[in-house]
Amino acid sequence: MLSKQLLLLLGHVLFIQMIFAQEGQNIKFGKITASDFNNPALQFDSGANAVIIADIGNTRFEGNSHGSFTLIFTHFLRVKIMNKNGFDIGNREISLYHNQEGDFEKLYSLKASTFNLENALITETKLDEKAVFDVKFNNNINDKKFSMPALKEGAIFDIEYTVKSPFTFRLMPWSFQGEYPRLWSEYTVVIPPPLHYVMRIQGDEHFFIDTTKEVFQSYSVHFNNGASSDDNYSVNGNSTYKKWVKKNVLALQEEAFITTLDNYYSRVTFQLSYVQWDNKSEKHEVMSTWNARSKDLLEDADFGLALNRENGWMSDELKGIVQGSNSNTEKAKRIFYYIRDNFKVVSRDGYGKRGLYTHQSLKDLFKKREGNVAEINLLLTAILRKSGIEADPVILSTRDNGVANPSYPLLAEYNYVICVAFIEDKMVNLDASQPYSRYGQLPNQCYNGWAHIVNEERPMPIYFSADSMLESSLTNVIIVNDEKGKPIGGFSKNYGNNESNDVREEIASSSLIAYEKKIQTANESNFKIDNFRIDSLKMADYPMVLHYDFEPKNLIAADILYFNPMMGEGYKSNPFKSMERHYPVEFPYLIDETYMLNLYIPAGYTVDELPKSARIAFNENEGFFEYLIQKGESNIQMRMRLKLNKSLFLVDDYGALRDFFAYIVKKEGEQIVFKKIK
Amino acid sequence: MSNLLKVFLTACFLFLQIYLSAQDKTENYIQLIIPDSLTKGAEVVCRLDEKDVEIISPGKILVRKKRIYSILNNNAEEYSNYYAHYNKLWSINSVNGTLYNSVGKEIRHIKKKDMSDFPGNGEAFVSDDRIKMIGLSYHSYPYTVEFEEENEAAGALYIPDWGPPRSDKMSVVISRYILTVPVDYKFRYRMINTDIKPEVIYKKDKITYKWEIRNLPVMPDEPFSISSDLYDPAMLVGPTEFETEGYKGNMTAWQDYGKFYYSLYKGKDLLPEDLKLQVHQLADHLNDPYKKIAILYDYLQKNTHYVLIMFGIGGLQPFDATYVARNKYGDCKALSNFMVALLKEAGIKGYPVTIWGGEEERAFYVDFPSHQSNHIICAIPLNKDTVWLECTDQYLPAGYLGSFTQNRYGLMIDEKGGTLVHTPVYGLKDNTSIRKIKSIVDAEGNLQIKSETSYRAMSQDPVENISHHYSKDKQLEYLKQSFNLPTYTVNSFNYNENYLARIPSMQESLDISVTNYAQVTGKRMFINPDILRRSKIKFSEEKERKLDFQFNAENSEIDSVEILLPGGYEAESVPGDKSLSSKFGQYQTHTIVRSDKILYYRKFDLYRGRFQASVYEEIETFYNGVYDADHTQIVLVKKTKS
Repeated sequence: MLSKQLLLLLGHVLFIQMIFAQEGQNIKFGKITASDFNNPALQFDSGANAVIIADIGNTRFEGNSHGSFTLIFTHFLRVKIMNKNGFDIGNREISLYHNQEGDFEKLYSLKASTFNLENALITETKLDEKAVFDVKFNNNINDKKFSMPALKEGAIFDIEYTVKSPFTFRLMPWSFQGEYPRLWSEYTVVIPPPLHYVMRIQGDEHFFIDTTKEVFQSYSVHFNNGASSDDNYSVNGNSTYKKWVKKNVLALQEEAFITTLDNYYSRVTFQLSYVQWDNKSEKHEVMSTWNARSKDLLEDADFGLALNRENGWMSDELKGIVQGSNSNTEKAKRIFYYIRDNFKVVSRDGYGKRGLYTHQSLKDLFKKREGNVAEINLLLTAILRKSGIEADPVILSTRDNGVANPSYPLLAEYNYVICVAFIEDKMVNLDASQPYSRYGQLPNQCYNGWAHIVNEERPMPIYFSADSMLESSLTNVIIVNDEKGKPIGGFSKNYGNNESNDVREEIASSSLIAYEKKIQTANESNFKIDNFRIDSLKMADYPMVLHYDFEPKNLIAADILYFNPMMGEGYKSNPFKSMERHYPVEFPYLIDETYMLNLYIPAGYTVDELPKSARIAFNENEGFFEYLIQKGESNIQMRMRLKLNKSLFLVDDYGALRDFFAYIVKKEGEQIVFKKIK
Repeated sequence: MSNLLKVFLTACFLFLQIYLSAQDKTENYIQLIIPDSLTKGAEVVCRLDEKDVEIISPGKILVRKKRIYSILNNNAEEYSNYYAHYNKLWSINSVNGTLYNSVGKEIRHIKKKDMSDFPGNGEAFVSDDRIKMIGLSYHSYPYTVEFEEENEAAGALYIPDWGPPRSDKMSVVISRYILTVPVDYKFRYRMINTDIKPEVIYKKDKITYKWEIRNLPVMPDEPFSISSDLYDPAMLVGPTEFETEGYKGNMTAWQDYGKFYYSLYKGKDLLPEDLKLQVHQLADHLNDPYKKIAILYDYLQKNTHYVLIMFGIGGLQPFDATYVARNKYGDCKALSNFMVALLKEAGIKGYPVTIWGGEEERAFYVDFPSHQSNHIICAIPLNKDTVWLECTDQYLPAGYLGSFTQNRYGLMIDEKGGTLVHTPVYGLKDNTSIRKIKSIVDAEGNLQIKSETSYRAMSQDPVENISHHYSKDKQLEYLKQSFNLPTYTVNSFNYNENYLARIPSMQESLDISVTNYAQVTGKRMFINPDILRRSKIKFSEEKERKLDFQFNAENSEIDSVEILLPGGYEAESVPGDKSLSSKFGQYQTHTIVRSDKILYYRKFDLYRGRFQASVYEEIETFYNGVYDADHTQIVLVKKTKS
């Protein structure tokens, strides 16, 4: 049995080595020849300032004297500097974690050298030990920082080191992609039988090598039980061997209309699931199941413990809030608005506003009236429950935090807590932490795929899709001739929910006058604006409406008048700038824009030319653009509508999407021509 | 201000009065009612800002700071945060913070140990600067935060200056600066934009000076305004004798301060033998000193790069030249010092120059020797002129300083001590960008553009940055975003530099296709001949401009555009030639429409200068005139068959 496994392992090693030889990847620290400096393979990403020739990581374990395992992470990096802008990659840091109980990670045998090819000779400049600096990053992390010496255009540097870590939860993740392109990126882990990790592979799942094996390994684990009785155990069995290799990985590209690049770059992460010493012994759950995780969370003093308590301290105030309400919906609404309007969301020192956990009791929060998102929405949940309404906390990952994996209870992937109430057979999603949020509607950031209801009996995934958010706006413009024949206009725009909140925040952080000035100067037509006002500026439950009057200066005097019926409100340039696209286009919501114009023909003029009406569909039924214009007896009526029925467009659709918007930009730029009647 | 708020503020004040008078009976807070002028436009009111500095000896100072801010609404939330900086020379003895609600009830109290702690210099790769931070915000407004901090500094090198902390959000009720010195210690100070006099109190062997300013309203927030150090009251404070980490110095005259700097650089200029040899190989055969400088600067640029690593002596002392010679990196001090060492080996005297680096124009107080710099460059005075070197840059030609350090004072550190020097000024003749466009528009309105632009001096700075510091991909990405065109593709682009001259120039070639650049509707075509330079600056009507104007840019744009037309069109509407002339600049256009092409010429000169607030209307007329002219279209109409 054993020999068979060894044979398998040997075969495997041979196989890998053969590939190495083929790929020229049999790389060792400092083994560099002149041909390495002008390897044509380095040119595969022509825009690169530096290329990572090899990035090779390896994590293995050894038994330690605390009855557990120590992780041994070795890292080898070889980089070629292509030009002067690539020097930044020579600034390196190695982060070392420590806890408050005196356990720490330690750096061993750091070797680093820069190689330059000068007059056909290779010179080596070693990193000076004195040029390695210790910098405290925070209470748990100290960095070792150094800058590679003697970097020049064309230089190659090698770095090799080992970090030993007593923290089994810190199995190093590995990125196969990043700011710089990689010729060869390799990661190997060998995990001893008692430790069970959940592995998550993200981004493009195509690997050059992707191997999983069982390999026989022995570990010696030592229990130090004080002075007298020391125990030594030998752990033998099949360790899990995993190896991934990617070749020729291009650098990450930033693109507009994307939630976060984190969702797309290639990497593997690990989460400790459970520890089981052998088949007969008990499983020590670390990650566990959603059911068990929900239970843990609900019993956690920093999450749900207070939800099921009597919470008598809120009784008096609650009575006042819900008094006289005659349905659960009304009760829930009153509680929601009470919390939204009386509690402020604040950053927790060093933790920010988001995060899964509370840093004060709900009772303290109730008294202080300020807390993080989790605290406020857990309080909302507690008060709803107290008033007899079924409600649960929901954990989710916001758009900028990346998509969470619903299959495993990997709590580290979640960063936000909301509340779901069950009222009259309906699920109502509530976030009382945001000053502009509404009953039943979550902030944009929450619509990011799978979330999870935290309930002991029935934990349940729920899906929040950006497709369920509709951003619809309506603009109405009327231009008439006053009694003296002078054209005057009225403008009104009903903003969509998101834009309403954005403008509210903008006005709050500057001023209404500043916003008026911005509106006035934003328009290319330079009209004078009067009677500027905004409805529902302070009423977050309603979309905002902007009104103003204006004098269309370009509708007077000249023999020929040219007038853009969109008045500069439309798209002036295509939002999709690039010809190509690497990642899907993700809009934060569905778009529905309507613009209507009723223009009375200026006195003494006749219409010489009118844009043509048009309607085009996008991918049959995924959206449309409509531009309808007609001349009546004394006026011109025009209606524009742009609607997109989905929020996510794949790379294959990009060209069509760009063309669609190019057409919109063109159409919205067209003008009406009036001629003076002679 | 609403009456309710007034009540709140008064209540707030009452408590403060009690609290403060309990602390310091000698203070009289009876006048501490916030007048309307201080709440107008304010989101936060600074009730008290106090710095109490005691110079114990040239080698030790104590600083006690105290501030009380009343935060009126959520736009001023960040003012409830407190940041305490520390490093090897500057330590924090204690911090106390208290949050009070609107009626003066204490809600929360914090101490130094409650603060979070993180690296303090975001730009530095490694530095011993750190920050302790805490926020004391509250849900109900107004609320008041009070912070007290006590510091100890190992040396009177930096004595804190004074400036009431007002901003466009914050007004100030009381700002106070107290300085106590031993009777035999001489210090220096200089008032800025104010002539208030200190109150002087003599104690046994100490003298205490007290300056105080009251009732400063919020600062106006207006575009193109002069920098606040030209109108805001402030005071510079400087030592005479000081001591720090074993270095002694005196700051009474620039020359003295220079001597101190010189002592920090002394003995740091040793080069390894092989490098000395290389210097001679590079420079000895050249006779012209400028050429020697240029070749050694080229060596520096090719072999070293900038990494900011700051330790000790307030971050003033450079790594020695041997370190840079070996590791090939350093910060501005280390690289300048290294450059000086290379020059010295070649028999040329060069000097480090302390200077303020930044795009913004900033006041420099020639009459008050003090630490008015954040950067070091290198100067080599020759017979006729001085050659300036920015040693952290890997591309600039020897002798050219970009917008980061041009046109300002610096202190040149030489053997005699320091000498004040002024960096070169680049004007209208230098800062030019001349563009020629040849383009073709087709019957659908699509435009093919070939643009050739020559940028010079400061006009080439932004282009230089992109062409040198962006990868090809990033350059393309930048170009894709940078033009105000409907839907376009950059087919090809190229940057060519001429960096042999002392004033650099950069040639840009662009080949761009624009979809539907011109609007074609039925029988007409609308086209704007100003393809790439349309002005984005527009002034709105303003009832009352408070601050004077400051325009920093001085440059000249000259454009010649040719657009070949599809056949069959004739002009219907052609914008008349425009000529606008003002104190701020000159603008001129000339448009010719022929049956086969449009010819358009545009010249736009902008002048550097400071202008009084009262010229607002002239500025509005000029800039909006330019904006309108830049956005006027040519209308072509299909020839009717006759």
